[in-house]
This record gives sequence, structure tokens and C-alpha cells, in this order.
Amino acid sequence: MEDLRLMERVADTTRTKITARGVQVYYGEKHALKDVDVDILDKTVTAFIGPSGCGKSTFLRCLNRMNDTVASARVSGTILLDGEDIYDRGVDPVQLRARVGMVFQKPNPFPKSIYENVAYGPRIHGLTRSKAELDAIVEASLRKAALWNEVKDRLADTGTGLSGGQQQRLCIARAVATHPEVLLMDEPCSALDPIATAQVEELIDELRAHFSVVIVTHSMQQAARVSQRTAFFHLGNLVEYGETGQVFTNPKDPRTESYITGRIG
Amino acid sequence: MQTDPHILQAFDRDLEAIQAMIMKMGGLVEAAILDAAQALETRDEELAERVRLADKAIDALEEQINTEAARLLALRSPTASDLRTVLTVMKIAASLERCGDYAKNLAKRATVLAQMEPIGDTSGSIRRMAKTVELLLQDALDAYIKRDVELAQDVRARDREVDQLYNSLFRVFLTHMMEDPRNITACMHLHFIAKNIERMGDHATGVAEQVIYLVTGVLPEDPRPKADLTAFARMDEAND
Repeated sequence: MEDLRLMERVADTTRTKITARGVQVYYGEKHALKDVDVDILDKTVTAFIGPSGCGKSTFLRCLNRMNDTVASARVSGTILLDGEDIYDRGVDPVQLRARVGMVFQKPNPFPKSIYENVAYGPRIHGLTRSKAELDAIVEASLRKAALWNEVKDRLADTGTGLSGGQQQRLCIARAVATHPEVLLMDEPCSALDPIATAQVEELIDELRAHFSVVIVTHSMQQAARVSQRTAFFHLGNLVEYGETGQVFTNPKDPRTESYITGRIG
Repeated sequence: MQTDPHILQAFDRDLEAIQAMIMKMGGLVEAAILDAAQALETRDEELAERVRLADKAIDALEEQINTEAARLLALRSPTASDLRTVLTVMKIAASLERCGDYAKNLAKRATVLAQMEPIGDTSGSIRRMAKTVELLLQDALDAYIKRDVELAQDVRARDREVDQLYNSLFRVFLTHMMEDPRNITACMHLHFIAKNIERMGDHATGVAEQVIYLVTGVLPEDPRPKADLTAFARMDEAND
């Protein structure tokens, strides 16, 4: 029996957005990610949790080929976005990253105006034909990131002058401006205070109406609050992947339980 | 389920403390059941009075357990088996509190019944029934502290015995009332006592089910063995 509250938390779809099969990552000799199989749902928040060095960020970075930029990294296995292999030689990583956006741990706005921070992506990807269209995208993105009301009167000010929480929401606005299908977030709230964290979490919950969100977090409570699916990584293995409520009340694997309950595993 | 210690040792101490309170409460309730049944059989009004007064301590413990459980939820954000520990502690405390109330009620009726003619050996039967239930509760709490699912299943199955004892007492009371209407007042009191002891058996079963939930994460789905048939009893059957 599911009550209303549970219904609200249920993922809205069973459509798979990203399929990963047998994904292995080596950094030089180090085997960082071992044979990961996972299906990430569309319009769903998926949280990756696990201790430092467990491979969760490594896997996240595979999803938009950010590991291509690491010289020592070797990735094998298959990752499909809507059934299309993202490691296919015909895929342009820059185009891919417009479809699979990313927000980092530390807010990293460009040293440009607030407007330019958001307008940059749509402009280089040629998404707009006129200034009016670009203005519309900037406003819509800032609204989606719940930042519009705070910055609408000072769009020409520099982005680095905003507070930490505002800067992170600016980075989210920048990421959503290219209309991504998937948004990857690597510890997006670790540098934020609880109020800014709550605002970003609320934002994440709203964003899942439009696309798939994958978030790496060290805060178990954050994973529990924002996600519908949780994946637990340990020593490069995907140990458990399931519905968030189940993972936090009745995990199947003893390693998951040790980790989420704060025990020595 | 997990039994390794937490990295934060104060968390372990908190969890142990609320479970220790449950065991203490269980001990008080078990004593109340046995004492109340003894007071009934031996017509010991003083003992009955002590049982009635002792219920205050049981109620106070339940309140303390709920306060500590709320604190633990707020301060430690327990998950998985830790969360289930806190949830089951709260449910078991509520069950034990009800059992304490039933024992208190038994003691009150024992005081009234001490002024009336005894109805055969029914108070002896009631005491045996109370002893059976006390053992069920003891085993259920034992299963809780040992995380023993097998023992918990056994408690669930053994509640049938209590139901059967209640069934036969129900018929005995009916017979006595039909034989002599002057027995009705005493039999009504005795019947409420028997019914309340039967309810305590259900609470012991409830505790056993919480043990199963605590260990496995799911409540047992198979229907509990039941043998209380009095809901279908008719007057004309009483003399069968």
C-alpha cells in the first residue's frame, strides 16, 4: 500500500535514459571501476553514494566522457544514451556534454557577467538566432535555477561576485541553458550552507520534471532527500542499486548497510 | 542485520539505552501479569493494590522511551536496521504499555471478585492462562534482544494455546451463568479478565512480529495462526 507521500517520491517513469554495461575504468595501473552495469532512468534523480575513492565520481565522469581529458584514464564497456553509444567514434564529446551537462563541487562561474555565464553555452552551440532568443534562454535558465529574482537587476555584474549558493545556482543555470537531457552533479552542495543546500535540493527536485539528474554526494541524508534511485559504490564495485526508500530502510547488501548506518565495514 | 559497532560510539550507547528501557519495561509488565493473576486466585487485595500502583512506573517508562526515541531520530538520523530498531522500540513500548493496563485492570477486578463467591476453579485456570501469556511475552522480548527470528515465529505459533484457553474459559463462564444467574456478575468480571489476557497474547505476538520486521525488514505476510472462535459461539453450544 502506498500513501500519497510515497506516491510523490516514486519515479515518474520506467524509461531508461542511460544504459551502462560492463564499464571498467583504469587510471594507469589502478583499476578504479570494475564491471559496472546500471540503468539510469529518465526524469529521475539518481544518487551515487559511497566512501571516498569508491569510483562514484569516476563513473559519473564516464557518463559525459569527462575522463577523456584525463591522460592516464582508460574506459571500456558500453554506455548508451537513448540507445546510442556515447563512446562511438562518431560522437563529438563537446556535443555530448551539451546533452549531458555537469555541475561541479566548487562553484566555478566564468569570470564574466552573470548574463554571459548563462549565454555562453547556447551561443557556442548555436542554439539561438537572435539576441531576443538568447535573452529568453538566459531568463528561463535563471528561473529554472531559482536565481532569476535575485539577479535580474544586475545581469551585467560579474558572476564571481555572487554568494557561494548563488554561484552554484548560476552554474546550474549555465548547465541547463543548453537544454541537456541529463544533468550530472558532483557534490553540488558540499561548499554551501544549509539554506543554499535546501534551495539547490528543491531545484534538483524541480529539474527532474525535465530531465534525468545524477548526483554524487557524500551526504547520505541528501541522497535520501533528493533521489528516487540510489546506487552504492564500494572499492570500484557497484554494490547495490535500488529504490532510495528501500536502500535506506532495508538495504540488501551488508556493505551498503555498514556504510549508510555509519559502521566500520 | 548489522551488529558491528558504529564509528560514532555514542550512537551505539543511545541505541542500547532505549533497548535496555524496553527490557526493563518488559520485566515490570511480566511481574504485573503474574502478580495480578496471583492476587485473583489467592484473593490478595493488598497485592492487587500494589499491581495497580505499579502501573504508573510502566506508563512513565513508555513516555521516557518515546522521548528518547524522538531524540534519537532527530539527532542521529538512523537508517536501515538502526531505523528499524527505533521504530520497533516505539511499537513494542506501546504494546507493553497496553499489557500493563490490562494487568492493572485485572488487579482492579480481582479486588471486586475477592468480595464474591468463587466460580469453580476458574481463577486457577485464569492464573495458568496468565502464566502462559507471561511466558509468551518473555520469549518475545528474549527474541527481540537476541534478534532471534525462529523464537519469534515460535511465539506467533504459540498464541494459539492462549486462544484455546480463552475459548474453553468462555464456555465455562457461559455454563455457570446459565446454571445460576447469581453467577453473572462474577462471570462477567472473569470473562473480561480472560479476554484481556487473550489480548495480551495478541500483543506478545505483535512484539514477535516486530522482531521479524527488525531482522528481515519485512513484516510476516502469512496470516497468524488464530484459535479464538468465541466470535461465532452460541448459547446452545455452551453445554455441548
